[in-house]
Amino acid sequence: MMNCLEFRRLKLADPRRLPEDARSHANDCLACLAFARSVDESEAALERTLAVAVPEGLADRILLRQGGERRVSRRAFALAATVLLAAAAGGIITRRDKDSSQQARLAIEHVLDEPESLTTYYNADPVRLAEIVRDLGGNIREPIGRVRYIKRCPVEQGSGWHIVFETPQGLATLILVADRSIAAAATANLGRWTGRVEPIRGGYYALVTDSAESNSAVSRLVKQRIEWQT
Amino acid sequence: MGSEQQFEQMVRAFSADLYRFAYWLCRDRFVAEDLLQETFARAWKAWRELREPASVKAWLIAILRNEHFRRFSRKQLSIVDGEPDESEIPSVPSSAGHLEMEQLVGLLPLAYREPLLLQALGGFSCGEIASLLGTTEGAVMTRLTRARQELRSELQAAGKRKSA
Repeated sequence: MMNCLEFRRLKLADPRRLPEDARSHANDCLACLAFARSVDESEAALERTLAVAVPEGLADRILLRQGGERRVSRRAFALAATVLLAAAAGGIITRRDKDSSQQARLAIEHVLDEPESLTTYYNADPVRLAEIVRDLGGNIREPIGRVRYIKRCPVEQGSGWHIVFETPQGLATLILVADRSIAAAATANLGRWTGRVEPIRGGYYALVTDSAESNSAVSRLVKQRIEWQT
Repeated sequence: MGSEQQFEQMVRAFSADLYRFAYWLCRDRFVAEDLLQETFARAWKAWRELREPASVKAWLIAILRNEHFRRFSRKQLSIVDGEPDESEIPSVPSSAGHLEMEQLVGLLPLAYREPLLLQALGGFSCGEIASLLGTTEGAVMTRLTRARQELRSELQAAGKRKSA
């Protein structure tokens, strides 16, 4: 036989899933019936509160990004196949150079595709940066500069971390890509922008700045302050 | 139906609920969306490993929790996966009496807030929540009871003050 205390405990633990004997108890006990109604009212208020507005187009953005990654993977495969054919005719060194410089150029294009990354502060957490670097087998010995922006982004061949930080040479973008390899370091230019990719043990990173001079300086800074397993 | 279509259906079916769950975990709209992107990225990578399509929502919640825990474990030491000593879970601050439901939910310790969200938003039973949180059904019932007691007592106190 259920008592009032047990009924109230069950009602508070799961207001919508009362067992049959608890419902019977409420029908016979006016005090517990009133208690149940009161709990139902506060539960309705709770559910209204929790139902915060969902950003417009959320599902589309998720699908766009995830779909982008899937399509990019297929494009990347097609690109690799094309380059391999070229390598058969032109030699493996050419293939490797093209592959790396292509990633450097894509990194610049990615930065230009996300101009807001250079104007907004987002997830600007140096501890988070340290975690991301550590996940790729790196260690930040000294801060590389004030972090302004950290976001996971679709990049060629998968996804990567898009990080913007301040340096004496201006803003610099570091793109960290795990589980993908490049054959060698390479540099590419697009307009005034320079991108440089460097292989690391867990993948590769790309450094994008708005001039070749600043890229050289920031590249040195990154190498001095982040220790990578190669 | 192809796996990409199934994945799209999953995103459309669960993104709103997952977003709300993520928002109430981190209380930041940008971070919540970021958590969701990461959750679905990981879900897609592991899509072929999904053995029980019927429990896809719980699977997504587990991925989201892991990602949230991974990001914030250093900052929010109150996050617990196992069963905490109930006496160690702090109460809602007593100064919260004047606050509205939204603020009160945000002030609940995560050990109380998380099962409450899983039940009120996700529709999970106490047993299912226990599986997700890696604890016992009894512990979940205790936390849910205390969470609702905290909310009700604060709201009742606020109501009395308003009517006085």
